[in-house]
Amino acid sequence: MNTLIILSAVGVLALFSEMLNFKKALGAIILLGLVGAFAADVMAWNTNRHYYNEMMVVDNFSVAFTGLLIVITFLWFIMSPDFFREPSSRIDHFALIIFALIGGQLMTSYNNMLMLFLGIEILSIPMFILAGSNKSDLKSNEAALKYFLMAAFATGFLLFGMALIYGATGSFQIQNITQFIKSQQGNIPVMLVAGILMMLVGLAFKVSAAPFHFWTPDVYTGSPTVITAFMSTVVKTAAFAGFFRLFSMCFESSSATWANTIWALSALTIIIGNVTAVYQTSFKRMLAYSSISHAGYMLMAILALNQYAQGSILFYATAYSISSITAFAVLLLVSHLAGNDSIESFNGLAKKNPLLAFATVLAMLSLAGIPPLAGFFAKYYIFTAALQQHYTGLVIIAVMGSLIGVYYYFRIIIALFKSENDDVVIPVNNTFKVFLVVTSVAALLLGIMPQLVAGIL
Amino acid sequence: MLQLVWLIPVLPLIGFLAIGLFQKKFTGKSAGIIASATVFISFVISCGLFFQLSSAQTIDYFDWINVGSLKIPISFLIDPVSIVMLLIITGVGFLIHVYSIGYMGHDEGFARFFSYMNLFIFFMLILVMGSNYVLMFAGWEGVGLCSYLLIGFWFKNNNYNKAANKAFIMNRMGDLGFLLGIILIYVTFGSVRFSEVFSGAAKLPDNQPVIVAITMLLFIGAMGKSAQIPLYTWLPDAMAGPTPVSALIHAATMVTAGIYMVVRSNILYSIAPPTLEFITVIGTATAIFSATIALTQTDIKKVLAYSTVSQLGYMFVALGVGAYSTGLFHVTTHAFFKALLFLAAGSVIHAMSGEQDIRNMGGLKKKLPITHFVFLVGVLAISGIPPFAGFFSKDEILAMAGVQSKPLFILLAVTSVLTAVYMFRLYFMTFFGSFRGTHDQEHHLHESPSVMTMPLIVLAILSALGGFLGLPSVFSEHHLFKNYLSSSLTVPSSVIHSEPSHYFEWAMILVSIITLIILIAITYNRYVKKGYVTPLAEINFSKTFKTLYHKYYVDEIYEALIVKPLYWLSDMFYKVFDLKIIDGTVNSVNKGVNAASSTLRLMQTGNIGFYIFAMVVGVILMLIYNLYGK
Amino acid sequence: MNHLIQQVPLHYYVLLSTMLFCIGVLGVLFRRNAIVIFMCIELMLNAVNLLLVAFSVYHGDAAGQIFVFFIMAVAAAEVAVGLAILMMIYRNTKSVDINFLDKLKW
Repeated sequence: MNTLIILSAVGVLALFSEMLNFKKALGAIILLGLVGAFAADVMAWNTNRHYYNEMMVVDNFSVAFTGLLIVITFLWFIMSPDFFREPSSRIDHFALIIFALIGGQLMTSYNNMLMLFLGIEILSIPMFILAGSNKSDLKSNEAALKYFLMAAFATGFLLFGMALIYGATGSFQIQNITQFIKSQQGNIPVMLVAGILMMLVGLAFKVSAAPFHFWTPDVYTGSPTVITAFMSTVVKTAAFAGFFRLFSMCFESSSATWANTIWALSALTIIIGNVTAVYQTSFKRMLAYSSISHAGYMLMAILALNQYAQGSILFYATAYSISSITAFAVLLLVSHLAGNDSIESFNGLAKKNPLLAFATVLAMLSLAGIPPLAGFFAKYYIFTAALQQHYTGLVIIAVMGSLIGVYYYFRIIIALFKSENDDVVIPVNNTFKVFLVVTSVAALLLGIMPQLVAGIL
Repeated sequence: MLQLVWLIPVLPLIGFLAIGLFQKKFTGKSAGIIASATVFISFVISCGLFFQLSSAQTIDYFDWINVGSLKIPISFLIDPVSIVMLLIITGVGFLIHVYSIGYMGHDEGFARFFSYMNLFIFFMLILVMGSNYVLMFAGWEGVGLCSYLLIGFWFKNNNYNKAANKAFIMNRMGDLGFLLGIILIYVTFGSVRFSEVFSGAAKLPDNQPVIVAITMLLFIGAMGKSAQIPLYTWLPDAMAGPTPVSALIHAATMVTAGIYMVVRSNILYSIAPPTLEFITVIGTATAIFSATIALTQTDIKKVLAYSTVSQLGYMFVALGVGAYSTGLFHVTTHAFFKALLFLAAGSVIHAMSGEQDIRNMGGLKKKLPITHFVFLVGVLAISGIPPFAGFFSKDEILAMAGVQSKPLFILLAVTSVLTAVYMFRLYFMTFFGSFRGTHDQEHHLHESPSVMTMPLIVLAILSALGGFLGLPSVFSEHHLFKNYLSSSLTVPSSVIHSEPSHYFEWAMILVSIITLIILIAITYNRYVKKGYVTPLAEINFSKTFKTLYHKYYVDEIYEALIVKPLYWLSDMFYKVFDLKIIDGTVNSVNKGVNAASSTLRLMQTGNIGFYIFAMVVGVILMLIYNLYGK
Repeated sequence: MNHLIQQVPLHYYVLLSTMLFCIGVLGVLFRRNAIVIFMCIELMLNAVNLLLVAFSVYHGDAAGQIFVFFIMAVAAAEVAVGLAILMMIYRNTKSVDINFLDKLKW
């Protein structure tokens, strides 16, 4: 709760900073605010309190995910400042990012459908603006419009689903709906089934599960890279937290109605994401497809829903976000100098800047799921959770998918070590160095001691 | 000593971190010296373990993974089997490290090379010391990664990168089998710790389908790592890496990981006779196939690589007939003489300024006396000439196989003969006759520095004397090696329990010596006296045939009955099997994914209308399925 | 007022709003003018609003009607952003036809 207040205060402060002339101090204020919010979040551990007439609940699940969101946002703020095309609009960007983070927090801790809806919208609306923030770039424009139109369309389904569920159960409150479903003892009314499916569509869109994933590659490619980094980490994690919370706490006892559908979505997402990524020539677009495939793996945790599922999805989100933000950070730097985001521009990076190359190698290995990096255990946990529920077929598909994944991630690693004629040394400032070292160490550390994160839930 | 066990893997890790992170700070040879020192200290500790430890010990450190019922500790299992492997890895590894200080001396990536080597040693030690399958798998993947890094060490050359990729993809196929095996073990026994799995397996009767499945899956992993048919073609290609790497990874240690894994799981394998039979078949086929291929290769390292594949096949045959200690014995002697051969070959290549084709060598005996001498020891050892190391271990495998089945014995004996032929061919073509290289090369010829020759001499001594660890029962009642290992090994009930008779053993020893002498004489005649050199181009090949037609009657028979069919077979195996079938499969999978990718990506048309259409179709399908489909 | 609404059976409301929703979906599918697409999305949202109000009355629970207010407020905010994006695109391309936007593909 205090987290929410602190974050909102920081957001409002950011908006006023231009007017009240403390623009220069804004970066420090935001970072401090995030640290404060994180501290407040940690303090709420094990409290399990409800707020606003039980519309919000702060339980360990929400604390863990909110903590993760704040940490990733913090990392984002450390790496991003140098990469805005117009430094003047930086403040607006910062404020919007903070508000999006608030939306993300709501999505982790809602206890009422209304809060879920508000969380999604508070997260999404700033993202529409940010996606289009390169006003003169037609690609950025296109990304913004595609994102906006399709997200609004998906929201329509989400709301329709909520309305149907309301009609069937008479409440928006999570516990009431859960109780209603339990009392039906397996005989779920059609209206409720339709409602669950409609909500599934809306949420599957948010996490970019196939066939609702089409916006992802285009929007990720078109948006400024800094924004894409935020979308593929914080937005994705928040969407999964919301998705998981709804299906594990609310719809669990009706799983017979949606399990097969999620199975199919997950398999399709893994296949499409991985296979399409192979052919990409742009690193950024490849990461977009890779993020789709990771959504497919995370869906497996929603399907498994046993005692390991919570820990495994949290760990997966952590491992994925850390490696992903590292990859985007390197991409930012490299594409800034090379002028494009093709995989070729990574050629010979090992010579131009070993630290960048090292961080990229770790990020790629982790995303590919090679031990002993975090990504390996992330996949391991999820696959085990799914296996325990006897989803063997899906796990086989997922393993095949991750083998294809190894192929395209290794293309990047190979590119890093290709020799280039021009041996320009890429300069990296100290903040950025610290950022790379911290994320790389985190990826390694989580691989060596995964229970640090996976064990807390 | 047990308190120091953790140092064994940690020291090379520290070496890797120190050298890897501060590459530029290590000038001159310091990186090589530090790397060698870490491995040496590990070796000393391993020796201490060897002398002090009498029974198997499991040492727990901390929990690595602890989620729900799944607990995976970082813990090491120290028993005779792992101590033998530790001694090989750290001992031979140390010698190769020292050798590399000389061999890689002029390379700009000197420090990087040693950091990878130390990392490899670390993972290899984890692989053999781990007390559960997951830790073993972590080491297994780690050595694969290092192998990949080291094969592609000279990454400027694109071919090298391709070889590295091939090794990686092939190993992944095997690893998939291994991983599924581990998952199945967990599902079956509820644990991945060796102690719990084996005590659970000890209670099971023979021929349980699930055990057969587990052992098969694990063996698929071993096939990839230990280069067995059909997953072996990566190993000859992996010779693209620096020669010490070939010696350490692709001869002495990593490729024997598959054998170690089977020996480690011997309790499981002993109750799965069908898998043992399968292993025997694969091992025999690999041994003989690759031996014939080795006959015609002209790249010095490729001959040795195919020979390694063949010897690995031998080791698997030993495991397949339930003679686990014999298999491990051959691993040990093979580590000595194959490391020796590779390093000696490296010394030759070093002297020849990078030339690897034996058709351009010849007459190196005078110029490289030490290398020549140690190479000869290696050749004698691998050919199985008593009293060199290879004789005893190979003889033991032949004897054990002979007890089980006669056809198997004959096939292995033929392979053993072929081994002698191609090794002596290699030896004679390299060191005898006249020099066939360029003038520059001839001028540059020199014996390697003592930092390289010293390890060679040590390995030569080991190759010469290592066999006395396991004297056959004819000579001695005490088979030291077998006795040492006996506490950790089982004997499958499905194999025949009988020691070969002394009469049989004597006969075998005599026959093998006589055959070998005859063969060496023939080979000597062909390659030294006649000065025959495999022609450089294939067109010359048939002409040589015609000229040979009018020579001695013996030559003609030899050509017609042995050389020609063998060449043909060898060529066919190489062309059809290696290139078409196996590479073809790898390539077509690759192509398939690429084609699917280029098609699937067209779905991303860029048109919002289409995207929304796809979404709506998705929604409709979902609704139809869930509301009417059930 | 409640009485009046309840004179019509509940499933009529469900049917009506489902139809409205489908019309909205079809509009989004077949129209090419971005502004018309916006309007169709609004239609979808209004179908939801209608449904919520009807349920609210039948359940005798105010939460549904409050939800409608939130939807209206959020939709207004969303459309404000949407129109701004559209303005930006119109400035750059002089068109609001979504078929022209396919620079990002494959």
